[in-house]
Amino acid sequence: MRTQETPAVHTAGLGKRYGSLWALQDCSVTVPAGRVTALIGPNGAGKTTLLKILAGLSRPSAGEVSVLGRQPGPDAEFLDSIGYLAQDIPLYQRLTAGDHIRIFARLNRHWDAVAVADRLAALNIPLTRAVGSLSGGQRAQVGLSLALAKQPRLLLLDEPVAALDPLARHEFLSSLAEAAAEGGPAVILSSHLLHDLEQVCSHLILLSASRTQLCDAIDNVIATHRVLIGPRGKPPAGVTVIKATNAPRQSRLLARLDGPVLDPSWDVHEVALEDIVLAYMGEAASAGNSNLTAIGEAS
Amino acid sequence: MNTLMWRLNRSEVRISAAALAALAVLLLITGITMAGTYHGFLGTCAAARTCADGHSLLFTDDGVLNVVVYATMAVPLLFGLFWGVPLLAREFEAGTHSLAWTQGVTRGRWLAGTAGWTLAAAALWGAAVSALVSWWRLPENAVGIPYPRFSIGIFDIQGIVPVAYSVFAVALGIAAGALFRRLLPAMAVTLAVFVGLRFAIAEYLRPHYMTPLTKVFPLAAMGFGAPSATPAGSWVVEALSAIGPDGRNYGDAIQFSFMPAACRSVGQARIIPCMAARGFHSQAIYQPATRFWAFQGIEAGIFVVLAAALIALTWRLVLTRDA
Repeated sequence: MRTQETPAVHTAGLGKRYGSLWALQDCSVTVPAGRVTALIGPNGAGKTTLLKILAGLSRPSAGEVSVLGRQPGPDAEFLDSIGYLAQDIPLYQRLTAGDHIRIFARLNRHWDAVAVADRLAALNIPLTRAVGSLSGGQRAQVGLSLALAKQPRLLLLDEPVAALDPLARHEFLSSLAEAAAEGGPAVILSSHLLHDLEQVCSHLILLSASRTQLCDAIDNVIATHRVLIGPRGKPPAGVTVIKATNAPRQSRLLARLDGPVLDPSWDVHEVALEDIVLAYMGEAASAGNSNLTAIGEAS
Repeated sequence: MNTLMWRLNRSEVRISAAALAALAVLLLITGITMAGTYHGFLGTCAAARTCADGHSLLFTDDGVLNVVVYATMAVPLLFGLFWGVPLLAREFEAGTHSLAWTQGVTRGRWLAGTAGWTLAAAALWGAAVSALVSWWRLPENAVGIPYPRFSIGIFDIQGIVPVAYSVFAVALGIAAGALFRRLLPAMAVTLAVFVGLRFAIAEYLRPHYMTPLTKVFPLAAMGFGAPSATPAGSWVVEALSAIGPDGRNYGDAIQFSFMPAACRSVGQARIIPCMAARGFHSQAIYQPATRFWAFQGIEAGIFVVLAAALIALTWRLVLTRDA
């Protein structure tokens, strides 16, 4: 039984600076254990930077971070507890999937050799061909299987489906959902499109302009955001306006509600998650335009 | 780690083993022939006192084979470029370092394992090549003419220094890969630094490892056809030079410009006796043959220390820089 109190990830004021540019700033998130969390943000929002810090590959310039109750870093016990799959799924191109399995079995104290072989067999992925000659979808499955074979408690996947065709993407996410089911690891996977991940995620972190815009359960996000249509002028009490669209006589507000809207002059409508995400991204981009710099995500 | 290194590098290991085997076959066949010739020659020359001509019997003038033997001077550089540089630079270029560094071994252990194997392989291969070349050159080293084993270029391909050069070149390649994280810049820097440093040390530092000996000769030793003045097998740091009565060094050729006026018109054959009568003599500065192994040890020590410094730098870069 895992301790429910220890979150998979907790950060406070986390920041990473490359030279004078902040790739990630003031990031405070908490990710519960055992859940699948989508890390959404436009390119350059700091997703890769955050994942690298969580994987212990990169050191933060500011703030605090704890992963499964530990400081990410070069200690073997921390490394045992995480699985990480970088963008573009780097593997040793000349080696076969079987070679990878044999090598990594030696590099890890916990290693489920049977499970990884079974997984790849079930997916019809040849173990004896160089991974460089496999399709993108197959390579992604090899990468995921290797990460899962470590039996991590937190799995970090950086844009794992970005380069995959729709079928491979569906298959990858199905494999992931299966692995993350009851008793599986907590998962954080990033994408610049929410649409990619909605089917498997129960949690959402929204990064934009190097800052955290949202970090919550998806159900909560949907429950607390509404579109309000009413007279121009002052918004109703108890709401935080995310995005306002003004027509000559009326305003359309996408807002976060702290309680029910009682003012009868405002119509309240439900709103799709995708629209909420777009509203946050759009506002962050225009508000922080000076802040939005063309930082490459990879260092 | 051992599995990782073997799986990743088995083709390189096979290629290097094949090249080493080819060199071994070539040198063994010619070396055995040469040793036979040499021993036969020793038997006859001792009586006739003509042993100094021995080199003409050996392979000294055999261009192609000598090129192969001298070319082994580049072997450490090849290790540096093709074993040392890719070790980290290839991981960074392919992004696989993030895969390796998130497995259950720490970066320090990963580096110790991968770099350790590569350095050990370079030392072993360097030692094998050097042993072959040293053995092949035994007859020529014994004859010592025209080039004793102590002279620049020949010193560098036998004994223990090739092992130290190999270890240094690989450490340099690994460090360049850690610093630049790309193959081509790391290779370019490894090439430039290795060649530059090897040349500078051999040319400017090596002559001063121990204070060279100075030997004074009559001026006649500089005459045309005079037998070699310095002891056999020694490394001549400064060739036989003319020294004036005031002790001034006039260089290795007798020239009209510094001849005493009285000797300028005495005729070719009498110039040297004339100058000698006026207090000229000659001298050579050299390192005696007995210092060969001391110099090998000092030079090997220098390169091993440099290699250790580069490994320390790599350690720092890998453990403290972001992936």
